[in-house]
Amino acid sequence: MPQARKVALVSGGSRGLGAQLVSGFLDRHYRVATLSRTKTTFITKMLRARKGQHFHWGAVDGRDHEALRAFVKDVGDRLGRIDVLVNNAGIAMEGILPTMRTRDIVEAVEVNLTAALVLAQACSRFMLRQGSGCIVNISSVHAIRGHSGVAVYSATKAALVSDMAEEQKRRIARRTPLGRLARIDEVANAVHFLTSDQASFITGQTLVVDGGITC
Amino acid sequence: MLTAPTLAQIESIVHGRIRAVLAERVGEVARLSGTDKLSATLGLSSLDLAFVVAELEAELGVDPFAKLVSITSVRSVGDLVRAYQQALFPELQRGGDEHAVAAAVKRAQTRRTRRKRR
Ligand SMILES: NC(=O)c1ccc[n+]([C@@H]2O[C@H](COP(=O)([O-])OP(=O)(O)OC[C@H]3O[C@@H](n4cnc5c(N)ncnc54)[C@H](OP(=O)(O)O)[C@@H]3O)[C@@H](O)[C@H]2O)c1
Repeated sequence: MPQARKVALVSGGSRGLGAQLVSGFLDRHYRVATLSRTKTTFITKMLRARKGQHFHWGAVDGRDHEALRAFVKDVGDRLGRIDVLVNNAGIAMEGILPTMRTRDIVEAVEVNLTAALVLAQACSRFMLRQGSGCIVNISSVHAIRGHSGVAVYSATKAALVSDMAEEQKRRIARRTPLGRLARIDEVANAVHFLTSDQASFITGQTLVVDGGITC
Repeated sequence: MLTAPTLAQIESIVHGRIRAVLAERVGEVARLSGTDKLSATLGLSSLDLAFVVAELEAELGVDPFAKLVSITSVRSVGDLVRAYQQALFPELQRGGDEHAVAAAVKRAQTRRTRRKRR
């Protein structure tokens, strides 16, 4: 039976920003569904702590469109609604375009872009019927500024600082007006604001959370 | 639906959903005709149509626009009705005659009844 608690679907909630968002939505009394390919210790811990209450995880590869659609349908049918979608799942891939494997380019587009669109489409069905809903896409500064070695990610939007060399991180921090990299909660808070009632008149906007690097 | 819908039932369900949207936009509409253009005659927007499709997927359990049909080919009320009839009765796509369709409807209904009994 549908319950009053709102439902948030977060893609890639098994670690990093996605895991932070899962916890944040649960703290805000949402029911949360998330998907990833692997069951991390975070997911195992959440499943055990929640005993399936208000938390649902599915082993889904974002490249499998049918599986994505089936996951959304299952969540929507089971929980009765979908209020928030956060397209967070993403992969980073480094290398310059001329020497990159085509297979890797396709994978980046599939996971970072196509999966987000398929999820948005499937969730929008429920949102249309409810007459409300909120979709947040996690992008990257690379979507705004081009950098060498990230052509494909720039196109799909993603690059993961966590995978970067220390020297690279220091270089980015130096170029950032606030002088450091973001903490995960600083990014998650922006998502929680955009999906909250406080942002009820905000739509179609790009909110850049980057310490000023693209200013 | 408790039993598999017949072709006429599908038509009436699709009409019902269109009428519900129109009732909100322009007020009650007495009758729909198959030749009424969804946009030009009735004034439905693409978002209205998406809403109707979402409602019909929930009610009929099928989405003809996921694979079978392109939404851009749907102009009239009749086009929309046919899209759902074809999705629920693939015999229609193969240009099956009325007997083949009637037989398919009957088979579907028998399946449902059997499933319910179990
Ligand atoms: N970290 C940064 O500094 C940074 C900067 C800018 C933008 N971003 C963006 O922020 C988002 C989160 O980044 P993060 O650092 O938290 O990433 P992360 O720690 O690498 O986590 C990525 C998540 O996505 C999932 N995922 C990856 N490929 C998938 C696939 N094919 N199917 C299903 N799930 C998949 C992962 O689970 P599995 O691997 O188990 O599938 C994981 O849950 C990404 O979209 C990223 O592009 C990050």
